[in-house]
Amino acid sequence: MNCEVCQLKELEVEHFEIREVLRCILHTIVFHRALGLVRPKDVDLELFEITYVQCGDVELEKKIDEKIDHFISWVEKHPNKKSQICLSFYEVKSKQPFWFANKTERLYWEQWYVNLNVTQHPKHHSSKSHHTKVVVDPGESAIEERSSRRAMVEASLREVLFQIIKFVNEKKDHVPPISEGVIYFPYEITIPSSSDSAFGMDMIKRMLHSGHPTMLS
Amino acid sequence: MEMDRESGKLEQIVSQFRSKILHVILDSRVPSLHRQQQESLSLSRVRKTDKWFNLVLGDRPPALENLNFSLRNLLDPMVIDIILIRHGSCSSSVDNLYAPSAAAAGPSTETVIERWVVQYDCPRVFATPSGADAAVFYKKIYKKCILLLRSLYSQMRLLPAYRICRQLSLLSQTYNFDLVYKVSSFSHPFSREEEDGMKEYSFTPVEALPGCLCVSVTYRATLSDFNLEPLVSLPPKIITDYVGSPTTDPMRSFPSSKTGAHATSFPSTGLRPPSSAPFQRPHSWSSGFHRGFPPTKTQSLAGSPPAYCTSRKPYDITSPPTDLYGNRIQNHRVSTLQQATAYDEYKLSPPFSTSASPSTPTYLSGANPLLTRHCSETAPVTIPLTGRSTRYLSSNSSDPNRHSLPPLSPRSSKHDASSQESPSGIRSYRKIEGLRAGESPSGLSNLYSAPKVVRDSKDDSGRFSGLLSSSGSPRIGFSRSSSRLSFQDDIDDCEFSCPFDVDDVDVSDSSSRNTESKRASEFTAQSNLVGKKSQDAAVGILVHMLRTAPPLRQDSSCYSTHSLKTEYDGGAGVASGFFLPRKTADALEELNSYREMKDLLLSKSATQAVRKEGKK
Repeated sequence: MNCEVCQLKELEVEHFEIREVLRCILHTIVFHRALGLVRPKDVDLELFEITYVQCGDVELEKKIDEKIDHFISWVEKHPNKKSQICLSFYEVKSKQPFWFANKTERLYWEQWYVNLNVTQHPKHHSSKSHHTKVVVDPGESAIEERSSRRAMVEASLREVLFQIIKFVNEKKDHVPPISEGVIYFPYEITIPSSSDSAFGMDMIKRMLHSGHPTMLS
Repeated sequence: MEMDRESGKLEQIVSQFRSKILHVILDSRVPSLHRQQQESLSLSRVRKTDKWFNLVLGDRPPALENLNFSLRNLLDPMVIDIILIRHGSCSSSVDNLYAPSAAAAGPSTETVIERWVVQYDCPRVFATPSGADAAVFYKKIYKKCILLLRSLYSQMRLLPAYRICRQLSLLSQTYNFDLVYKVSSFSHPFSREEEDGMKEYSFTPVEALPGCLCVSVTYRATLSDFNLEPLVSLPPKIITDYVGSPTTDPMRSFPSSKTGAHATSFPSTGLRPPSSAPFQRPHSWSSGFHRGFPPTKTQSLAGSPPAYCTSRKPYDITSPPTDLYGNRIQNHRVSTLQQATAYDEYKLSPPFSTSASPSTPTYLSGANPLLTRHCSETAPVTIPLTGRSTRYLSSNSSDPNRHSLPPLSPRSSKHDASSQESPSGIRSYRKIEGLRAGESPSGLSNLYSAPKVVRDSKDDSGRFSGLLSSSGSPRIGFSRSSSRLSFQDDIDDCEFSCPFDVDDVDVSDSSSRNTESKRASEFTAQSNLVGKKSQDAAVGILVHMLRTAPPLRQDSSCYSTHSLKTEYDGGAGVASGFFLPRKTADALEELNSYREMKDLLLSKSATQAVRKEGKK
C-alpha cells in the first residue's frame, strides 16, 4: 500500500489563533477519514467566519485538544519558528518473525503535514497586542491592519480546507477498506518535540518503519 | 437472475447516493431545513436512511420523497439550483419611509447562486460484475461514495451560500433576501453575464462501472455585491400602557414629550378632558401626534412602508394581524402557492416527459415563513412628517391608516374601490357607509368579523388597528353617520382622514374647548343638524358610551346589551343625528370597537375636526 502525503499550505498565524486553526484543520482531515457511522457536528470558528465539521466523537476531540495543547507549549518555548504537525493514518499489521512472538507494526498509508508559521511571541507579545482590550494607541490604521490580516488568515485557512477536500477527492484508492464498527482509522498526531532535530529524527524513524513513502503496496 | 440482483444493488447505491446528496444540499441551503437538521441531529436515534454512506443527517424532509419519486430515473441528471431572491429596495432606510409606496417596494430579483449537478454517466446497456468480484466491486464503490459525501458535506459549509443560509435560519433577524431551491432534471444554461461571476468545481467522479457518478457545482464566488442586509425591525414589545387596553386608565396623562406635541381634549359631555401637556406615546402609531418633528428611532424603524406588502398581496382575513402579518401572509401565500404549483406539476407532467419542459422543475421555497420577508415585517406604520403628511391627508385614496395606525391588521385599507390590498376592509368600510344610509347592516358584521380574528391574536393593538383599518378613521366613521354627502365633504375638505396622524391641531385653545358645559350646549343646540355639528355630537356620545362601557373582556353579548341600552337612553336626546336607523346590535358592535379608540378620540382629532369645520 502506498502512503500518500499531503503538504498543506503554510499558514501564518498568531499565537492566539493556533488553537482554532489547528482544531479546524485536524478535525476536517479526520472527518474525511472517519468512514464509519458518524453524526457530523458543525463547529463555527470564533475568530473566523468558517464552519468546519467534526465527526462528533468526544474521545477524538479530547485527544486532538491534548495534542494542540502540547503544540502550543512547544511554540511558547520556541517562539517565532516555523513548525509542522503531522497527522498520520495507519493500519495495524501483525508481524510474525519466526523468532519472535506476534509483533504489530503500523503501516502508514496517509500523512498530512500542517505547516504553521507562528509569527509572534506567544505570551508576552500577544498579551500586549491581542489579549488586552486596552491598547496604548491603536489608531484606526492598526485596527484596519489587524482586520485585513485576519481576513488574510481566514482566506488562507479556507484555501487549506479546500486543499484537504481536493486531496480527499483525488486520492481514494489508497484508503483501506472500512472495518465494521470502526468509526475512524487509527491515527497519530506528531508535534515537534523539544528540539527540531529530534522532530526530524522522529519523522525519519517513521519513514523507515513504514517503508518509503513512494513504495507501492 | 444474479445479474438482476447485482444490477439492483448498483441501482440502489446510485439511488441512495442521489438522495443523500440532495439531503445534504437541502439541509445546508434551505434555512428551515437547516434549522430542523440541527435540532434533529441531536437526537440519538439513527434511522435507516442515516446508515446509508454512514452519514447521519436526521429526518429527511418530506419534499425529498416527492423529489426522489419525480427524479427516479437514475440516468437523468439531477440539477439543484439554489436561488437567491432579493427583495426590493424596501429597506430600513429612513428615506424609504417617505418614498412612494411603489418605489419603496421595488421588484424582487432572483439569481442562481449555486447549481449542483449530480449525474450517473452510464451507457444504457451494461453488464455488471458478478460473483466474488461483485462484492469487492460494490464495496469499493460504496467507500468512494462515502468519501465523496464527506467532502461534499464539508464543502457545503465553505461556499458563500452557506453563510446566507445560516443567517436566514436564525429567527432573531430578518433580511431583505431569501433562499429557495429548484430541483429538476435539466437546467437552463447560464448567461455569459451570470457565468462571469461564477466558479466551478467538480468532485472526482466515482467509478461505478459501467458508468461513473459525477457531482459538480457552479457557484458564485462572492455574494458581497448583492447588498444583502438585515432588515432593521423593532423587537417585539409588550406595551403595558396601551391606550386601548381595558386596564389602562383612559384618562391618564402621559409623560411630557420632547417633541412638544400636545394632547387635545375630546369634546364630549361628561368627559374630563385630558391634560393638555405635551405627551409622548410609546407606540409606533402614535407618532402622528408628533408630526412635524423628526421621528424617533423607533418610529422611523417602524416605518417601512407597508405599501409594498399591502399593495401586492391580498390579505387573508384568517391570518393574525401581528407585526409580522404581512410577512406571514406573504410567505404563507408564496410558499403555499409555490408548493401547490410544485405538487401540481408533479401531477401534471411526468418527470421525464419529452414535452417542451422535459422535467417540470420543482420550485419550492425553503424560506422560513416567519422570516425574510422584508419591509412588511418591520412594523410598517409610520406617521408621516409635516410635508409628507399633507399629501396623505389630502388624498383619500392613499391610506393614511396605514401610516398612522398600528400595522397589525391587513385591513389597513385604502379607501379606494380599485385597491386590491384589503378587500375585506374596503368592503366593510363601504358597508358601514351603506348602513348609515339605511342599507344592509351586514357591513358591520364584516367590520367586526375582522377584529374578531384580530382579537384572537391576543393583541389589543391588533384589535384596535383592525377596527381602524376596517372602518377608516373614527372621525370619518362618525361623519358617515350623518350623510354620505357630508362624508365626502370631510374627505375632500380635511387634510387628513385619520384623527391620529394629525399634529397640526391648534391646541392652544384646548383648555377653553375642554369645557364640558360648552360642549354639551353645542351638542344640544346642534343635535339635529346633519354634517359638521352632528359630528361633534356623535363624538361626544361615543366618548360617553365608551367611558361607561364595561371592559372588553366581558361577554360581548352582555356588554352590548347593557351598555348600549344605557348609553342609548342617555344619549338619545343629543345623538339623534348619530343614531340614524340602525340596529342596536350594530351599534353595540361599533361601540366595542370604538372603545378602543376612546383615548385617541379624547385627543386632537375631534378637536381638529370641529375647528376645521368651524373655520370653514
